[in-house]
Order: sequence, then structure tokens, then C-alpha cells
Amino acid sequence: MRVYQFRHQRAETIVAAAFRPLVFPAVRELCDEAVSAALAAGASYADARVVQRRSQSVATRNRRVDRLDDVESEGIGVRVLVEGAWGFACDNGLSSESARATAERASAFARAAPGGHDRALAPVEPVQAEYRTQVEQDPFTLSLADKVEQCLRAEQAMQHDDVKVTAAFARAMREQKLFVSSDGAVIEQEVVECGAGIDAMAAREGITQIRSYPSAHGGSSAQAGWEYVESLGLEREAPRVGEQAAALLRADACPAGIMSVVIDAEQMQLQVHESVGHPTELDRVYGTEAAYAGTSFLKPHDLGSLRYGSEHMNVTADSTTPGGLGTFGYDDEGVPARREPVVAGGVLRGFLTSRETAARIGNGAGGSMRADGWSRMPLVRMTNLNLEPGEGSLEELIAGVDEGVYLETNKSWSIDDKRLNFQFGTQIAWEIKDGKLGRMLRDATYTGRTPVFWASLDGVAGRDAWALGGLTNCGKGQPGQHAHVSHGASPARFRNVQVGFRS
Amino acid sequence: MDALELAELAVRAAEGDEVLALVNRESSGQARFAGSEVHQPTLIENEVIELQIVRDGRLGLAASNRIDEEAVKALAARAGEAADSAPSDPSFPGFATPSEAPLVEGYDEETAGLAPEEQARLAAAAIGASSLDLYGYFTSGLTELAMASSNGIGLRQAMTDASTLALAAVDGASGYAEQTSWRVSEIDPAGTAERAVATAERTRGAHELEPGSYAAVLEPYAIAELLLYFGYDAFSARGLLEERSFASGRMGDKVFDERFSLAEDPIDPRGLPKAFDFEGTPKHRVELVEQGVLTSVLWDRRTAYEAGNGQKSNGSAPPASARHWGPLPFALSVAGGDAESGEELAERVGDGIYVTRLHYLSIVNPREGVITGMTRDGTFRIRGGKIADPLVNLRFTVAVPELLAELHGLTREPVLVNETSFYDERYPTGVLTPAVATARFDVTGIGGGPGT
Repeated sequence: MRVYQFRHQRAETIVAAAFRPLVFPAVRELCDEAVSAALAAGASYADARVVQRRSQSVATRNRRVDRLDDVESEGIGVRVLVEGAWGFACDNGLSSESARATAERASAFARAAPGGHDRALAPVEPVQAEYRTQVEQDPFTLSLADKVEQCLRAEQAMQHDDVKVTAAFARAMREQKLFVSSDGAVIEQEVVECGAGIDAMAAREGITQIRSYPSAHGGSSAQAGWEYVESLGLEREAPRVGEQAAALLRADACPAGIMSVVIDAEQMQLQVHESVGHPTELDRVYGTEAAYAGTSFLKPHDLGSLRYGSEHMNVTADSTTPGGLGTFGYDDEGVPARREPVVAGGVLRGFLTSRETAARIGNGAGGSMRADGWSRMPLVRMTNLNLEPGEGSLEELIAGVDEGVYLETNKSWSIDDKRLNFQFGTQIAWEIKDGKLGRMLRDATYTGRTPVFWASLDGVAGRDAWALGGLTNCGKGQPGQHAHVSHGASPARFRNVQVGFRS
Repeated sequence: MDALELAELAVRAAEGDEVLALVNRESSGQARFAGSEVHQPTLIENEVIELQIVRDGRLGLAASNRIDEEAVKALAARAGEAADSAPSDPSFPGFATPSEAPLVEGYDEETAGLAPEEQARLAAAAIGASSLDLYGYFTSGLTELAMASSNGIGLRQAMTDASTLALAAVDGASGYAEQTSWRVSEIDPAGTAERAVATAERTRGAHELEPGSYAAVLEPYAIAELLLYFGYDAFSARGLLEERSFASGRMGDKVFDERFSLAEDPIDPRGLPKAFDFEGTPKHRVELVEQGVLTSVLWDRRTAYEAGNGQKSNGSAPPASARHWGPLPFALSVAGGDAESGEELAERVGDGIYVTRLHYLSIVNPREGVITGMTRDGTFRIRGGKIADPLVNLRFTVAVPELLAELHGLTREPVLVNETSFYDERYPTGVLTPAVATARFDVTGIGGGPGT
């Protein structure tokens, strides 16, 4: 079916010339000037990042375009350490004057900062290096019109009598970044991300239900070219998404009780994110997010001894995961990418660290410092935090349940400031009886306390069921920053879980 | 070049049937502290042009923070390409035509000119007043919005904001307070910190609570957050049109306690005033709930046009990047009641819980207004009409309409609660609300204790 007519050939030629990528030798000079100015202003350490981002977002809703954006942003961010105090300033102007002025402002802010400062940084080998995402299809060579058409086709395939709203979205981003530090690091990186997703919302007789694919809240993204969006097969999955949204209107509400649950890979990715990723960020453990995102139930001395979960629980922080949104050559402190255990055999084996927090705990070397563009100071963030696969299939996990539910696709999520008490809702569930899936259920929620919940893990499906999902809306910091992070997970089975609300 | 001149330059550079340019300039500083020392200090200078072009009913948008003539031309080319890539949209109502925006307050010279050293000094004043470790920030900023269009719109507003947030916390105790204004002279960082400490000192020895339904007093910080999350769907015309919000099928019904009245009031000088929305429509006060009756929702030009019944925008268009949400509340305002204080509300409750602040809310069921989240930094039992023993953090899962259906009262004076997200470009927002006493607050679980 022809969804709409193309009329954009002439403009494309203009646009190819209308976007100006970074010229790395030129911005290298700016970074050098900023670092020199910071040192001259009294900094004992300084780094400068020039970042340029271009992103395209397409969103269609009820078969019309809701959003069609082409956004670029660039600037310089300068971080300094003056007499043990951090300072950070940024400016959208990319000139010698602004680079120097930004460094001086950061230094002055650091000098004025209250507190008894005593900060050390874990050592890092300064390198001159490059990193680039390997892509098969550059998303910026594909026209916006093609992206719109793909969204509209997926929407068309979701149509159903009870579906009141269909929505499809796709995004592409290229980020070029140059990092220069007073230690001597010069690191040039270029990252490309693409993502997409679809939603169907059905409503009837006062009940509203939603189904999404490949995940809720904006679909899924990967560090890859447009081939990632093609691989999602939105149009192929759309009929199922529409039909399930409509079917949920007539489904029974999920019963409450303590039971076994099998959780799909998508919801497991968020479970890992919220109940393992955030609590193992060492800056949270030390309290630096206390006023906003919260702290952690973990303490520094728990490293190596705290039983986080059952022996089936193996979680790694891996900034080398192919396709991961948290994959890079070097983090925003110039620390090289690596793969490290966070939880092994159910025991806490690692924290996510910066150079500062690694030095403070006397363990690790940093590697998780990431900033949201040029205008934010790097923070300890997740990279790719993966639940390692176990053995067997989803069907085998379900076969091991006499009575319980299978939960699929996140719908709501909340967890307390120490990352102990969580409550998640999923878009859809199925009753499990005698090892087999039964009737469809709506409005399922489950709740628990993190270490108790993970201790009840008794099976993780194998590599064949393992999936990587990427989200772009992980919030932290003040001013706020969105991190783009990925999680790999297989479906997993937990025993004695509270399903539904306690009241 | 001032912000409006830049917006006009962008309009002139563009080719289209209609063109709309928005410029957002930010100059801000945030001295964020933890453990009583600054750890995330951020000074931002940025200027973004967002250009929307319509060609043959096709709408495209491009944005850039490169500010020179060549960059503006390139921006216009990209916005044009975006427009040409879209299918024609028969539901697009066109851009707004000029109309007079209200004269609003919200700009203060002293706040606009606050130097980084002063911002650091005000953070230090909060830290110095706290006998416990202090976490939070002092921030102030100048935000300039300017809008120009081929239809003749020429709007400009400079707005300032200043805020102190204080979490006084040690192991086993934490208390929270904040203060926000568009005038820095009204901000008392030391007093804010002292209030946080006073709350924190009462949270030591917190115990658990059996889940169940309790009467509760919600401080302004708590009710503001809850109303905002509820309002994203319930008071957005988009949710209404799509039959998925609480308001669907309930407009004109008495759904809340008659003591509860709510407006979107962007021009109230006690808040963070705004003169126009992101489509260029003038702002004005919109009554959403009058004495418990659901009277209106928020409309922008798109949703009003889609309604097809003569509905007009009431100045509630969100930024283009949030268009998928539909119209959004940015200045909710709850009418005050007759209680003098939270303590008096506790007397009226008699037996229940007292909640200072909420954490990590999530919408469980938008149609019924069901929201879950946690309490934190000052949760107490109310016994015999007094704020009594401290409680651990509680998970709640509440249907907001049920929570508002039976109120024991509200405090007299609304307080401005900061709701600025500080993500992306700065756009200061807040909720004006008194404390609220409700007959029903559903506790569905327990979390960790107070403190770090």
C-alpha cells in the first residue's frame, strides 16, 4: 500500500551540505586552549570535550506525522580540579575565546565551591586513540521520508477495531566527540545509534490497554546503523501488537498472590537496570545522588562478600558489548572500555566507578563515566549491564512452574531511593498451569525487595533466548542527564514473588 | 543580536508557506552538593534556535545551537527538508496568528545577574546552616524565550529562577526542604537547610508499617508531585481525545472532594510566570477542577482542532520535543483551604501518616489515575492528632481520584514547589499547592529506612 507521496529529492541535496560535521584538528586546538587556560587558572587537572550531536526523530500517531525533527547541538565542556574541588562550565560557542573563557569560568566556580575538598583520581594511561561505530547503513543517508514511510507502514499493520491509537517512532543519532586531558589523552570517538518501536493502545468500556514492540517507552535502540531498525521487523510484528492490545480488553485481571513468575527478556532488562545497575553505581553508594536519584542499599565494604542473589545470578558491566548503547572506546575520563563482573554466582564482585570513586574505594580503575553531550559533567553511569545467560529455553522455564504467571513487556516501574523496594507492571501476562501457558491476563504487577527477589532466581534461559535492548532515557544528576544504556538478558524464573498489590 | 532578532533572522532564512522560529537562551549555574561539599558544579551558556516550516500542509522541524548567518541558512535547509519529507497533515491547524500576550512578572535583574561566585556562596550558606550532612543544590538561571513567525508573531519573555534544595541526611535519618522563586532575594538557603535538618532529626529510629489504607497528610512537595503525574494524562486534551485518560467520559462530573479546586495558572506571580506557550498562544488561567467538579482540560492548537467542536487552545502547548504528550501542565495551582499548618491537618486526621516527599512515581493505570511510588525523607505516623513516630519509606499505590475524593482539609497558603527537570534546555516550572489531608492513602509495601 502506498502510504504517501515522496516529494523531497531536491531538498536532500541541499541538506547534505547543510550539516557541518566536526573538523577534529580544529577542535583539537580549542580543547588544547581550554586545558591550557584551566591549568593557567590554577587547575591541577583539566579535561575538555567538544561534542557535536545530530539526531533525527520521526514519530507518527494515528497515521499522521507527530514529530519530524532534525536537531544538531555542539559545544565545549571543560572540567577542572582546583585545589581538590571540581568545576565545570560549558558553552555552545566553538571559538578560541569561548574555550578559554569557559575554562576560566570552570576554574573560578571550583575555587568558590564550599566544602573541604580532598579528591584523588585513579591513574589512567593517557592515550591518543580513535573509536568509531561500525555501521552497515548510515542512517543519515536514508531520507527522512523513508523513515516516515516505515513508521506509517508499521502503524497501518496495527489497525484493529478496538485500537484507538497507533504510534510508531524511529530515531538516529551521530555523536562526534573529542576528549583532551591535561594528562595527555587525546581521544576521538564517533558513535552512531538507531532505534525504533511501535505502540497500540486499545480502549473499550472504560478499559484502556497498551502493547508495544520491541519494548515500551520509546522502543529499543542500538549502537548500529539503520540495519538495526530493519532487523526489528516493525511491520512484521505490528499485527500481533494490535491484536494483543485489543485482546487485553477482554482478558481477566491478573490475580494477586505469592507465586512463581517467569519474566521475559525485555522486562528482565529493566529489572537489571533498576535493581542491579543503579545500586552498583559507586557514586550513589557514596551518597552523591542522595538528594535526587537516591543512594544504594549497598555499602563499599559489601564488595566481594554481599550475597546479591542466587547462584544463577551473573551480571557483567561490559562497555565492549557489540551493538550496546554503552559501548565505546574510552569513557568520558579517557578510561578504556572493558568487561567486568558485577555479580558472579550471586555475590557482589564489582561496582561501576569513576576515577574518583575507584581511588576512594581503592579498587577498580573507573571506566563508567559518561556525560550527556557537551553541556553536562560526566557522572558514573551504566554502560551495558548484562544478565549473563543460563541454560535451556523459555519453554523449559515455564515447564518448571505448576502455578504462576509469565510476564511480558514493561508497563510501569518504580523503585525506592535505596533500590530495595520495587514494583513493576507489565503490559501482558499469561497464566501458567502445570507447566503450560494458559489464559491471557491484564494489569499484572509484581513487587519485591531486591536481594530477596534475586535470591529467588532459580533459572535463566540460555544464549539463544538472550536479547540486547537499549534505552535512551536513564535519568540522573542535577542538572539532569539522559544516559543511553543497553542491557542483555534472557527470560528468567523467580519463586515466591508477590504478584499484585498488598493492601 | 537579541533573542527575538535571532528568531526573526531564522524566519527570514526559511522558505515555506508558514514558518515559526523559537529561540531559547540559557545562562545558568548550579552548585550541586553532597556530603556538604560541592561535587557537581555546572555553568551553562547555550542558545538554541528551533525552526518549523510548513510546505503544502507538511510540517518539519530542525534545531541547532550554531548561531551565525551561515548556520541559520543551513538550519532553514534542514527544516525545509524535514517538511518536504512529511506527508500532508489535514489535522494541522496552521501556526498561531498574533494576539496579545499578558504582561507577566517572572524576571528579576538581581537573579539574572547572579555570578557563579554568588551561586557558590548561596550553596555555602545552606551547607553552613546544616548540622547534618547536606545534599542538594543552589541554582539560578536566566532563560529567554523568543518566538517569531511568518504570521507576524513576535514574542519575547525573559524569566529568572532561583532555587535551593536541601536534603539533610546521615545514616538512619533524613529530612527534606526546598524553596523556589523567580527572585533570589526571596530564597533563604540557610533557613531551607534548617527546616530539612529539623525534619531529619525526627526520623531517627524509623519503624515499619503494615500495608493498608491510611488517612494521610501530604506536604506540598508530595501532593505537587502526585498531581503533576496525574495531570500528564488526566488534564491533557490528548488523553481525553484518545479515550485513555481519567477525564474521558467524566467531564462535568463531581469526581473530587468539594474542597478541592485546581487550575493551571501560568500568570500567577507567586509561581514562575509564563506569557505564551510553545505555539505562541497567550497564556491565561484555566480552571481544571472547581469545587470537585472536573471542568476543563488543557488544549493546544492541535488538539483543539482535532476536537472539531470549536474548541480553542488555552495556551498549553508543550515544547515540540514533547508534542507526543499533547498539552501539558506547567503551572498547576491548588486552591488553599482553611488549616493553618500541616500540624493542624494532622489534628484533623487523628490517626494516619504524614508524608513529606515522594520518590520515583510511575503511572500504573492512566484511565483510573493509579500511581505508585515511594515516600522518603520524612514519613511519620500520626497518632492522637500529633505527628509522632518516624516510619521507613513506604510504597504507595493510589488512585489519585480516590485520594482526592475525601479530604480532611488543606492548608491556607499554597507553596511553590519546584518541578523544573533541569534536563535539556532550562524551562522553570512549578506547582503552587497547600498541604492536603486525605482520608485514603493506600500503602502497599515498605522500603528502606530514612537516611543515606
